[in-house]
Amino acid sequence: MSDTAATLTQDRQKLEMAALSAPAVIFTVGMIAFPVVYTIWLGFQTFSSTGKQSFAGLANYLKLISDVEFWHGLWITIALFVLSLVLQLVFGVWLALVLFNAKRLPGIVRSLFISPFMMPPVVAGMMWLVILDPSLGAANYILQSLGLPPSDWLASPTWVIPTVALIDSWQWTPYVALIVLGGLQSLPPSVYEAAQIDGASPFKTFQRITLPLLLPTIVTAAILRSVDLLRFFDIIYITTQGGPGNASNTLNIYGFRVGFEFFNIGYASALMLTLTAIVFGAVLAFNRLRGAVAW
Amino acid sequence: MKARMLATHVALPVLIMAVSAQAHAADFDWMKFKGKTVTFLANNNPVSQALLTYKADFEKLTGMTLKVDGYQEQQMRQRLVTVMNANSDEVDVFMTLPSREGEQFAAAGWYGDLTAMAKNMVAKDYDPDGLSQALLKAATFGGKLTSMPMNIEGPIFYYRTDIFKKCGLEAPKTIKDVEAAAEKIKACDSAVTPFVSRGLKPAVAYTFSNMLHNIGGSYIANGKSNLCSAKGKEALDTYSRLLRDFGPPGVVNYSFQQISALYRSGRAAMAFESSNELRTVMEGGARLKDTGLLPFPAGDAGQVPTTIGWGMAVSSHSKQPDAAWYFVQWATSPEVQKKMALQGIAPPRPSVAKDPEYRKWIDEEPVRKEWQAALDVLATKGSSEVGYPIVANPESREFIGQAVQDLILKQKPIDQACADADKALDALIAQK
Repeated sequence: MSDTAATLTQDRQKLEMAALSAPAVIFTVGMIAFPVVYTIWLGFQTFSSTGKQSFAGLANYLKLISDVEFWHGLWITIALFVLSLVLQLVFGVWLALVLFNAKRLPGIVRSLFISPFMMPPVVAGMMWLVILDPSLGAANYILQSLGLPPSDWLASPTWVIPTVALIDSWQWTPYVALIVLGGLQSLPPSVYEAAQIDGASPFKTFQRITLPLLLPTIVTAAILRSVDLLRFFDIIYITTQGGPGNASNTLNIYGFRVGFEFFNIGYASALMLTLTAIVFGAVLAFNRLRGAVAW
Repeated sequence: MKARMLATHVALPVLIMAVSAQAHAADFDWMKFKGKTVTFLANNNPVSQALLTYKADFEKLTGMTLKVDGYQEQQMRQRLVTVMNANSDEVDVFMTLPSREGEQFAAAGWYGDLTAMAKNMVAKDYDPDGLSQALLKAATFGGKLTSMPMNIEGPIFYYRTDIFKKCGLEAPKTIKDVEAAAEKIKACDSAVTPFVSRGLKPAVAYTFSNMLHNIGGSYIANGKSNLCSAKGKEALDTYSRLLRDFGPPGVVNYSFQQISALYRSGRAAMAFESSNELRTVMEGGARLKDTGLLPFPAGDAGQVPTTIGWGMAVSSHSKQPDAAWYFVQWATSPEVQKKMALQGIAPPRPSVAKDPEYRKWIDEEPVRKEWQAALDVLATKGSSEVGYPIVANPESREFIGQAVQDLILKQKPIDQACADADKALDALIAQK
């Protein structure tokens, strides 16, 4: 076969492959693009309380600037994000180190350690709602048995965010631990052998070798958790619905209420697109950080 | 002569209407839509659960298939909003709370008009006039009947007769008696929560409205929000004080689930909660013999209980409204409502409430008798105004709840809490 004929056959094969995969590609792109484009379009519409729709231009986005609830929701979202992420990364790394070093731990115990994140968040929320009930819950019973004062937990405007962060961290720390554990298992043993020969203490080994080498893995875990944490919804919806008052009214909860309880779909779309932009911003920032710490 | 003409002019149309209605009823064929499928968007609450026990009966009677799309209340509304905004015919019949979303859904044109169907397309024994007139009126917007009542309900006052006896108290007759009883119970039995009701922001309006109306307040006066009126402030202050000083810790997160659980476990002496919760509260039988039930005690304006009911509406986008109406008619018929009543769903038909079989069920337990007596008061004196009677009613409930929570948590003085709420609510009232 001549070169020209071979090239023609290759081109034909490529065309055939493209034609065969086109429906799946179009379907997938459509499935991703349609909701996004539709939400962008909705963000330029205004809906009256009766559902009547009209073009609003940038009005929804201008309204965001003067909306006190938006800024409050943004602040709550960021506070919850930072607190939860710090807790999950710190305890996730610690749990991974425990699991890595306790090699003789039975499989069932390891499974128990990492089981919370397999639980649906709604179930986790319901479970903690019962445990933290100030009157009937086990948490206050234990505190009082130890001679400590009871807490209002989710019903206190001061404590609701730390409490929600604790619930989320209880559920997702094992997930971070699992990622970090994978990273630990892939670290080169030669570096540790060298450190041992040099007489480095366990803490120095962790500080100077393990942690720097683990940083790319930790940043990856941070990216994965950031996306979820900035879109925080289910546990808050189950436990407080944004309360008490509006003390746990994250942007996602606020957007949901505006859209599905007050039927202002246009403004809710603008809120959600703003939240999406924030999530993208955070992911890009973490990606840059990952590039900086890669080895 | 004039009298004869008048008699002819009045009597003849009435006679024709009566004969025509009888003819319609006689022509009525339950099998008319055999083979069709009706989709029912249901709130997965005790009312629909009791109704759907008899789903097979409907399918056997009509030859139709009933497809049930069931969700929790908020998720059901979310699904409905999506379907209706898309002008979709996926839903034929849906459950609705006229007191909450009636104005809004009617203005959006989501309800099919049932006026003619309820008059002309009925089986002989349907008796549309036998349904609670108050609930039918509450479901009528702009002269159009938008839904048929499935039940009657409202907040009622649950109290522990044994604790009242131990503390030397009589059943409260006024709101002031409730406060005095709470004070006495706090001193007499420190192990129980003296009083509990709704503190969760979106849920507050349901119970608070009863307090406001009993005290003599109103939500709107001269087209403006009225929470800062003397009566409005008195209601806000009394409601929040009862919960703050005598309620359980964390009451700001309390809705019906938490209230029922607390009362059922024996850890609350008084609870102001929905009549629908009777079955939940009595589960296990621990509270069966030591609970008394009343409509909420009177204020300066007497007793103006909150009375609402779930309704069944036909979607305006349904492509088969007649078949959908058959399902609505069956579900709200005297026969089915009697069966539901025997499962503890308060009937919206006085005739069912008087039915001997139902009366026998009521008479089996003293607490059921008191429950029915309270419901009778709700049916005769009730107001269906829960939150502001405006299109944005659901949003108005947020601001009522916010004002109450601000006071429970002592985050604002009453003048500021009511002024902030009035400002936000005035903006809602002004919305078109």
